[in-house]
Amino acid sequence: MVGTLQQGNIPVNFKAKKFLVWLFVVSSTIMFGGWTSYYLVFMASKGKGHGLVLPEVFSYSTVVLLVSSVCLFLAARALKGGDTSKHRMLLWGTFILGIVFAVMQFQGWTSLYQTGAVLVNNNAAISMIYIVSGFHLLHIVAGLAFVLSSLIGSYKNVSQEVAEYRQDITSIFWHFIDILWIYLYVFLLLNS
Amino acid sequence: MSTISLHDTHHDDHGHGHHHETFLTKYVFSQDHKMIAKQFLITGIIMAVIAMLLSILFRLQLAWPDKTFPLLETFLGKWAEGGRIRPDFFLALVTIHGTIMVFFVLTAGLSGTFSNLLIPLQVGARDMASPFMNMLSYWFFLVACIVMMSSFFVQTGPASGGWTIYPPLSAVPKAMPGSGLGMTLWLISMVIFVASSLIGSLNYVSTILNMRTKGMDLWKMPLTIWALFLTAILGILSFPVLVAGVVLLIFDRSFGTSFYLSDIVFGTEILPNEGGSPILWQHLFWFLGHPEVYIVIMPALGISSEIISVNSRKPIFGYHAMVYSLIGITVLSFIVWGHHMFVTGMNPLLGGVFMITTLIIAVPSAVKTFNYLATLWRGNIRFTPAMLFAIGLVSFFISGGLTGIFLGNASLDINLHDTYFVVAHFHLVMGSAAIFGMLAGVYHWFPKMFGRMMNPKLAYLHFWVTFICAYLVFFPLHFLGLDGVPRRYYAFTEFEFMNKWLTVNVFVTWSAIIAALAQVAFLFNFFYSIFRGKKATQNPWEANTLEWTTPVEHLHGNWPGEIPTVYRWPYDYSKPGADQDFILQTTPFSETMSSNLPHDFEGNEEAERIQREWEAANKPVQE
Ligand code: HEM
Ligand SMILES: [Cu+2]
Repeated sequence: MVGTLQQGNIPVNFKAKKFLVWLFVVSSTIMFGGWTSYYLVFMASKGKGHGLVLPEVFSYSTVVLLVSSVCLFLAARALKGGDTSKHRMLLWGTFILGIVFAVMQFQGWTSLYQTGAVLVNNNAAISMIYIVSGFHLLHIVAGLAFVLSSLIGSYKNVSQEVAEYRQDITSIFWHFIDILWIYLYVFLLLNS
Repeated sequence: MSTISLHDTHHDDHGHGHHHETFLTKYVFSQDHKMIAKQFLITGIIMAVIAMLLSILFRLQLAWPDKTFPLLETFLGKWAEGGRIRPDFFLALVTIHGTIMVFFVLTAGLSGTFSNLLIPLQVGARDMASPFMNMLSYWFFLVACIVMMSSFFVQTGPASGGWTIYPPLSAVPKAMPGSGLGMTLWLISMVIFVASSLIGSLNYVSTILNMRTKGMDLWKMPLTIWALFLTAILGILSFPVLVAGVVLLIFDRSFGTSFYLSDIVFGTEILPNEGGSPILWQHLFWFLGHPEVYIVIMPALGISSEIISVNSRKPIFGYHAMVYSLIGITVLSFIVWGHHMFVTGMNPLLGGVFMITTLIIAVPSAVKTFNYLATLWRGNIRFTPAMLFAIGLVSFFISGGLTGIFLGNASLDINLHDTYFVVAHFHLVMGSAAIFGMLAGVYHWFPKMFGRMMNPKLAYLHFWVTFICAYLVFFPLHFLGLDGVPRRYYAFTEFEFMNKWLTVNVFVTWSAIIAALAQVAFLFNFFYSIFRGKKATQNPWEANTLEWTTPVEHLHGNWPGEIPTVYRWPYDYSKPGADQDFILQTTPFSETMSSNLPHDFEGNEEAERIQREWEAANKPVQE
């Protein structure tokens, strides 16, 4: 039997699956767009923003996240070059930096909390800081899951095709949440 | 190569096939897009029946506000104490009716069914980009339905603030009974629903863009696919905004933030929430809400395009114009949401802008209508049940669309807003039109889904009663609205000027009851025909699209051999010079020399030369 439908096994279309991640990136951007639009309209109608000096740790966490992106970029390069151990090492690097970022976000919230800028607030702009950074952190958790799936693939010696597919979707997603955080951070800095 | 008989493959599939299909993997946790389509459809039908029954309940109240129906108490217990529907429950009924119809029936039931069924089959793919996510999409949908229905079993009843759940009613749990646990369940259900809808949409778009068969370029796609594609894009771009809004609402309700709340007083108690604005919810909601109404209607329009062309035995009039109108609607639907908010104290200048964009969106809608009529014009019409429903859609789309133009004018809308005029408008243009599109699709693709035919006699009965009754129900409501009768009121007995409308309400309720009874003909026909219907042939409607080239028996992967190649657009019906009045998309031009036209070759000079030579050689024979 020559048909492409061998024994009912349907070939996987990696390109189409990768595209799913891109589309998810679009919809997630729009969700954050919804919140930042709320913020802008709120600010325009009330004449005030969050009015805070954002905790310093947010700027450090931004740097950590940027470094993690570089790390992941190098990991992808290592995979293409066939250097498995380097690939693994860099993935671990990304993973650990991701965790460090998460911890720093918690520190940021703590220091906000200590200055009295709490979530339950009569200034919705301040509540919004928690909302956007919180939901961004959820994305980080999802991103860590992607990194893990790449790592697992690497230890299980999946085929090069599958490994590159997992690496690709991890990269798309991780770079996205990196850029997303920078957008949110700059947005909150500019619209205080 | 591609001529292996179906039975061989089928055997292979089962004998030493890859995965042994059990009942569970075949019918329940199926990853086959055709099975998932059926799951969506049947769940959608069940939800539609529930929502219809809810509407009959509140129609009873509107028609006979002073009568008691002891039977109601038997069924509804404390919701209808003494045989009369309680005011709280009335509001819950209206809310859940709207929610189920808009989201569960006309979004998931319609897009979910036909995107799943038709996208792989009509673009020529073995399945979706991610069959697993596709399965997830259905299961999320089912869970959302169950959570929504579970709110009927909580003490305080389901959400009652209307399907648009405006704060503060939705944001303050103690505002009214329906603002309590029922509202929480509504929000949970909706978050799950949006997840389902997004996962589905991502899959549809990726499949259409990446997995079309050889030769199927974008301009050879059937209009159903274009419509489903743009619908999915609308969903991806608008549903996340609803999530953003709902998250803030959940925080207001459950954690005490003040995104939408300010200056709320209960008796002597002042709520601590300060500084928010309920209008911001309306912005976020309608930024989804308006695209949502097009998410509902566009698949129905796509389905009708296909059915009207097939059954007029004519190419669709203005294929490109149809696509560009769909694109126009998609783009414009993002900048008209303010027309739902003309009376929120919006800056009149801004109102004017929304008014202009709203009136502009009527243009592509009108283009589509005229193209339908032009396709029907002098067609060789076959009045199949699907065709009747498709024509019904055109009728409702016109009569409901016209009132949209009234409402789009801010100066008129300030009077008409929140009256029965709006109810009449959207039940014709969205409710009736989209349901008719969906039913047309069910009648048309039933043979593809179940391998059997539905009974046409019952279908005609179903059509005529439903069509007439839908007009009898919704047309009179315009006049109530013009007279200022507000929507969502429990009873009109307290207002002198509304008393004269009571008889009309009785009439409307009777019409609604008859329309509901007519659906029994459909339900019986549908479920009976799944098992006992006449066996379908491979291409019962003599249509051109790819789904009719697959065998009647379903197999995972759709085509037993190679996926066919596509050579032409899907609307070569009654082409002059052709032997038959339809030419499948898979028929190469070399087999239809007698009917080829110069523009068929899209500028391919080699092909044009061959055609000219053939014509020169064959001309004398024809004379
Ligand atoms: C010809 C184009 C259309 C125009 C100009 C138009 C205009 C409007 C306007 C101005 C309103 C707001 C009325 C008010 O609340 O005061 C409205 C309500 C509505 N329209 Fe349309 N419309 C059009 C087509 C459609 C279509 C095609 C659909 C759905 C398929 C639709 C569904 C709705 C719904 C559901 C509402 C009511 C929402 C609610 O308040 O519950 N409309 N329309
Ligand atoms: Cu609208």
